[in-house]
Amino acid sequence: MSSLIRTENLSHVYANRAQSQSIAALNEVTLALARGEYLAIVGANGSGKSTLARHFNALLLPTEGNVWVNASNTRDVSNLRAIRQAVAMVFQNPENQFVATVAEEDVAFGPENFGVPPRELHARVDAALNAVGLGSLRARAPHMLSAGQQQRLAIAGALALQPVALLLDEATAMLDPRGKESVMNLAAQLHRQGLTLVAITQAMEEAAQAERIVVMQSGRVVLDGAPREIFAEAARLRALDLELPPFAEIAAQLSQQVSDFPHNILTLDELVAAIIARHSNHHARPFNAGDQARVNSLPPPPRGGGLGRGQHPIIETRALRHIYLRGTPRAVEALRGVDLEIYSGEIVGIIGASGSGKSTLLQHFNGLIRPGAGEGTVVVNGIDLSKPNADVRTLRQQVGLVFQFAERQLFERYVGDDIAFGPRQFHYSREEVRARVRRAMARVGLDFDEFKDRVTLTLSGGEKRRAALAGVLALEPRVLVLDEPTAGLDPRGRREFLAQLKEWRAKENLTSVIVSHHMDEIAEVCDRVYVLDEGRVAFSGSPRELFSRVEELASFGLNPPPALKLAQSLRARGVAIDANVLTIEEVVAAIAKFLTGGS
Amino acid sequence: MDEFEFLRNVTIGQYLPTGSSIHALDPRAKILAFVALIATTSFTGSYVGNIILVVVVLLLVAAARIPLGYALAGIRPALPFIIALAFLQLIFSPASASSPVLLQIGFVTVTQASAQLVIISIARLVELILLVSLLTLTTSTTELSHGLESLLAPLNILRIPAHEFALTLTIALRFVPIIAEETERLMKAQVSRGADFGSVSRVRFIQQTRKLIPLLVPLFLAALQRAEELIVAMEARGYLGSQGRTRFVELHATARDFFAVLVAIACAALMLLVQFPF
Repeated sequence: MSSLIRTENLSHVYANRAQSQSIAALNEVTLALARGEYLAIVGANGSGKSTLARHFNALLLPTEGNVWVNASNTRDVSNLRAIRQAVAMVFQNPENQFVATVAEEDVAFGPENFGVPPRELHARVDAALNAVGLGSLRARAPHMLSAGQQQRLAIAGALALQPVALLLDEATAMLDPRGKESVMNLAAQLHRQGLTLVAITQAMEEAAQAERIVVMQSGRVVLDGAPREIFAEAARLRALDLELPPFAEIAAQLSQQVSDFPHNILTLDELVAAIIARHSNHHARPFNAGDQARVNSLPPPPRGGGLGRGQHPIIETRALRHIYLRGTPRAVEALRGVDLEIYSGEIVGIIGASGSGKSTLLQHFNGLIRPGAGEGTVVVNGIDLSKPNADVRTLRQQVGLVFQFAERQLFERYVGDDIAFGPRQFHYSREEVRARVRRAMARVGLDFDEFKDRVTLTLSGGEKRRAALAGVLALEPRVLVLDEPTAGLDPRGRREFLAQLKEWRAKENLTSVIVSHHMDEIAEVCDRVYVLDEGRVAFSGSPRELFSRVEELASFGLNPPPALKLAQSLRARGVAIDANVLTIEEVVAAIAKFLTGGS
Repeated sequence: MDEFEFLRNVTIGQYLPTGSSIHALDPRAKILAFVALIATTSFTGSYVGNIILVVVVLLLVAAARIPLGYALAGIRPALPFIIALAFLQLIFSPASASSPVLLQIGFVTVTQASAQLVIISIARLVELILLVSLLTLTTSTTELSHGLESLLAPLNILRIPAHEFALTLTIALRFVPIIAEETERLMKAQVSRGADFGSVSRVRFIQQTRKLIPLLVPLFLAALQRAEELIVAMEARGYLGSQGRTRFVELHATARDFFAVLVAIACAALMLLVQFPF
């Protein structure tokens, strides 16, 4: 028996006593994982992927069927310690998996539990911290590390057990792009050193890094194969509410428009090579600079909303500064003189690496933080927030601020009551409150009659997010300020939300300010972008202008959208394609034109 | 202007390493010494005694190289309680015939004895908060729990789970800053939806409490969620209770630690024995 982990007809049923019903999370899963393999388990929310992973280290026991780890059955309690030592696990939320208040002591927690003698304990902690590159931060408190560092620390805690396999349960889901990259690079490196790796993920770019992908739906394995085979089934994946990694998606779209274009492509390099190969196969002479004449630059896509430069901005900041924990040894200067204007009807993006001051800036827009003496000014809709007597309450009604993971703020038993919270605070009449709740629910696509009396806790994650958004919209603000509004949504949820934002602007002239780590989202919806870097505005202009300065993006800690990356690589190889593309549709159109236009 | 900056005022559970000699003491020695000093504050009922204690505490703050403003910040959140307590004592302190009356407003009679009671109890509370803050500012929570675990270890014979107790304490302390941050975030989110936590008259308790529901419900839900996730994470790392565990941190007491405890106990004994005139 050579497999490290093996399941046979594994089923798991969660008993729900409260509602006296049970939920089948896994259904007859038979799977074998070899030592040294790198497996990604993907699937939409609720497909059973986390439940499956929790059987791999006996955190859950099968309700039916069997699981063997190193040929030991997980049902046998006497195997438990050996299994937990052999298969270590890192979880999604970095905050909730540390026990100790000092990094190195937390790393020691695992081996301490296994009675490792002190001398070896210290050696293991050193080795684990160095393996994840945190040797110099060993004395820090875990919550003082960045989210990416925290997840690397959690991996160190797992490595200190000297496991055979490491399970990453959506370990990158809550990280910014830099943190994601550092954790995925670490994972790849550990795998090269011989560790068996199982990554549970929604992010297809990450799954593409694995050697094998298992796709789950409703507790069953529906696809199992190498990434290349899996991503060749584009239509099947879309039906499962999953998306292709960006370059595979571009290849899939190209293969529909361009004859005999390969569709089993994973990486940027492969895609570039395929485009060049396709071109030279169908054109006698190789491409050269002369081809440039045939590549017309694309017309800019239509952008709605008047920029109204003549009118006063609805939000304006001048020389805005802010220092947290002022006057303490832990003081942090978050904003160092920010000038910004937002005009009515615009969608403005604010981007920047973690810690660049984005959240602090957003909180100035509805008076959660107000500039003190010498900290500059914020004027919102004519209200000067640096004046002590500014009418903040009126302002908060005009500027709605939606926090990250907004669904966590819901508190009422019934959905309708929760959405009515805001309007009731402003003492509207019963009828007016009801009308506002109805309108807000309609705007987020929740049916008033169906949802108003639903119990909040029974909503799905996506529905809760909508309800929370409706709770802010019920105040009928003129400006909507959104912090990472698509974080944690699956691909469909994200697409729907962005479409909604554009629709509100088109129909109601709603002004939006959006903070996002997803450059493709920014490229898609924003009229203008501000880039923050260490508390200053490092750039402002249209997304097109911004992304035309690719070199600078990296210095702000940002990644260009994949479409732009592809165009840049092609141009670097001498393919005269318009570098001014932002979305996947645009780059596909440009390449299709390049490949088919001349023949 | 930062209505919602919470973390600034929460000093419990915030270790501030300055590398002072107080930081370097064995946590067990520090716990014993601070217990002795805290006991002293609760026995000292005289003006002079409390002045001496305040001076001792301030000297300790200086020796630990903690900025004074930082140490004092811990008092601010407790201020309403201190004021309320003083007020209640003023009203309900038993009128003793022997003590001269200083002030009479309506039914409130302030005698020399009740004035002393109020002033001393305020001083004691301030000393107490400063001492506890100082202990946690100079001792990491992990050190604290290691110290407690070691001090309570003899109780294992009586089947009192010292290790579990220490671990629970560490985890509780670890989550203080996280929960404070979460509270701040929730408050901001609810304020953005029109909630108003500040400007209601303090008399309408029910109204005031009801205003906290939008905060408390999500906070408790999140805390339960956190607890559940943490348990799973601990299990995954092989935690099965204290049996067979080894220790990464081993405590070694030195002569200096014994000396510190002795000084604290001597100080406590002196304060107890000496009769101050006021």
